[in-house]
Amino acid sequence: MLHIIACCKWVIDEVYIKRGRGEEIDFSSVDWKISDYDRHALEEAVRIKDSLGGKVTVLTVGAENAVKGMKDMLSRGADEGCLIKDESFARLDPAVTADIIAHAVKSRLSPYDLIFFGDGSSDLYARQVGPRVAAKLGISCLTGVRKIAFKDGYVEAERSLEREIEIVQAPLPVAITVLPEINTPRIPGVKDTLLASRKPVLNLSSCDFPDYTVPAVRTVAIKAVRLDRGCVFFENNAGGISSLVEELKKKGILS
Amino acid sequence: MDFKLTEEQELIRKNMREFCEKYVDPIAAEIDEQARFPKEVFEKLGAGDWMGIPVPTKYGGAGSSYLTHIVAVEELSRSCAASGFTLSIHVGIVEMLLLLYGTEDQKQKYLPPLARGEELGAFVLTEPGAGTDVMAAQTEITRDGDDYVINGTKTFTSNGPNAGVYIVFGWTDKSAGRKGMSAFIVPKGTPGMRVGEHFQKMGIRASQTSEMIFENCRIPKDNLLGKEGDGLAIAMTGLDHGRIGIAAQSVGILQAALDESIKYSKQRIQFGAPISRNQAIAWMIADMATDLAAARFLTYHAAWLKDEGKPFSREASMAKLFAAEAAMKHTIKAVQIQGGYGYCKGAKVERLMRDAKITEIYEGTSEAQRMVISGSLLR
Ligand SMILES: Cc1cc2nc3c(=O)[nH]c(=O)nc-3n(C[C@H](O)[C@H](O)[C@H](O)COP(=O)(O)OP(=O)(O)OC[C@H]3O[C@@H](n4cnc5c(N)ncnc54)[C@H](O)[C@@H]3O)c2cc1C
Repeated sequence: MLHIIACCKWVIDEVYIKRGRGEEIDFSSVDWKISDYDRHALEEAVRIKDSLGGKVTVLTVGAENAVKGMKDMLSRGADEGCLIKDESFARLDPAVTADIIAHAVKSRLSPYDLIFFGDGSSDLYARQVGPRVAAKLGISCLTGVRKIAFKDGYVEAERSLEREIEIVQAPLPVAITVLPEINTPRIPGVKDTLLASRKPVLNLSSCDFPDYTVPAVRTVAIKAVRLDRGCVFFENNAGGISSLVEELKKKGILS
Repeated sequence: MDFKLTEEQELIRKNMREFCEKYVDPIAAEIDEQARFPKEVFEKLGAGDWMGIPVPTKYGGAGSSYLTHIVAVEELSRSCAASGFTLSIHVGIVEMLLLLYGTEDQKQKYLPPLARGEELGAFVLTEPGAGTDVMAAQTEITRDGDDYVINGTKTFTSNGPNAGVYIVFGWTDKSAGRKGMSAFIVPKGTPGMRVGEHFQKMGIRASQTSEMIFENCRIPKDNLLGKEGDGLAIAMTGLDHGRIGIAAQSVGILQAALDESIKYSKQRIQFGAPISRNQAIAWMIADMATDLAAARFLTYHAAWLKDEGKPFSREASMAKLFAAEAAMKHTIKAVQIQGGYGYCKGAKVERLMRDAKITEIYEGTSEAQRMVISGSLLR
């Protein structure tokens, strides 16, 4: 029986982020969502379970509000949850998140066959957690995956590279980070949402991770930038091109 | 006091929003134009348990609250007010009446296909001569052995052409006055029941409305809903529930009008600046948002009273009255904000304005709501 773990991040839904005064960002009326690519990761885990049998555990690391996120995740076909929450986990850097996940998987969720991640998160898109977890667990990691097939004892995956599709094989257990084209995530029905809170959840907090690494990255500030368009038009002739070059030099874009 | 929806209700709302963005928004203008019932949307809603939210799971529903259903109606109406109304009448009137008055056999027989969205429900009360004045109905239902026989003409039946289960009202004993009406469950295909004229409407065009004609329509006595003589009370209970749904439909329309108005007024440049910089426009939006908030609270409060098992008839009327009139008033403003573009097909506000009008008319006109509210205060 397969044990599939899907890792999902509960993030601010960017459509609600507004510009405040000056360089400030207004987070006052934001709503949260499952990070976009992670929804595909969870969907893939559930589809594999539905076709091959097994169990899906959805795992998230976050702050207090991740409780709601866990309900959302469980409404999408996962069987169990692993909720690792702590106020200090609100803005973790990817290295620390990976430490925590790897520790939880090793100590609480083993044995496992597959761990799914989104290729990158909607907020940071650092694309680190998947590969780092795999490294810590000492398993292979297939990134940028857009299709998966099961063969005897191993998986075959299509990876989307810049110019080509690479077909790779890896033995289980394996970590896989997925691209959105891998599937279309379901929209949970009403019952799925109502039943989510009845599914078993393993609750962990910072006390369960006595020696997770100190963050390597410290967020000093988050600022809004404004992109001002110059709307300067140049003639489509030799004169126009040289004035374009002049203009770009003036702005320090060309030297 | 607690003004919060539960986390589940918030997630359910979000899922409905996503459902609408995917399946409803892309066709909403087209089904309005073509006056087409979006069967494919309702099949999907059925599969996602949206068609029986407050119906207990043992009858095929989702087993949640009336408020959850109301949130779903609001969110669906924001994308397509006609579809929101179809959902409202199906769940809020037909399923609720079966739940409240049906025998165990009737519930087991009729609720599961309705809750799964395999059949649509219809509420068949209004007649050509009996709109606001329900007592002026002419439809007669006579007992004949183990059967009843219905004769009469009903009009403005929503889902008339495409329902599977009809709740039909008529006189079983006209001499008994308010205790002389009865309600019956009539399944589609019953001989003697047929669909009459289809109405071409100003708004909610994706909801089908027709006459229903009953000529010696024979139904077994097992199809009596409640007791003989309960008809009027059943109709009023149905409308009490349904009105919260119409209030929610109005709230959805208002939210859409506000969304459109904010978006457009920030983009449209006249005199070198977005029109939203003019106080005249900005204040329209302020009033719209304020009435929307008030309408939403009245609506949720009425649904909450219902879920708490408290009396809610007056509050349902208040919510419906206020939300409907606010929807009409502000969709006119939303068109005004978009000027000539808002008056043309293709602008969502044009449809919103046409759709809003019906909320002041059906399930009791605004005048009828004022009669209910004042009646309850001045008794
Ligand atoms: C699109 C649509 C869908 C509908 N769906 C259904 C349905 O599914 N099932 C169903 O049974 N019915 C349905 N109806 C009927 C609807 O509920 C009635 O149209 C409504 O109750 C008003 O009745 P009426 O049209 O006969 O207007 P009337 O009752 O003739 O009213 C005309 C006007 O007079 C006013 N008025 C009437 N009496 C008074 C009074 N005593 N004091 C002050 N003013 C008064 C009214 O408020 C209104 O402004 C639907 C109607 C429409 C248009």
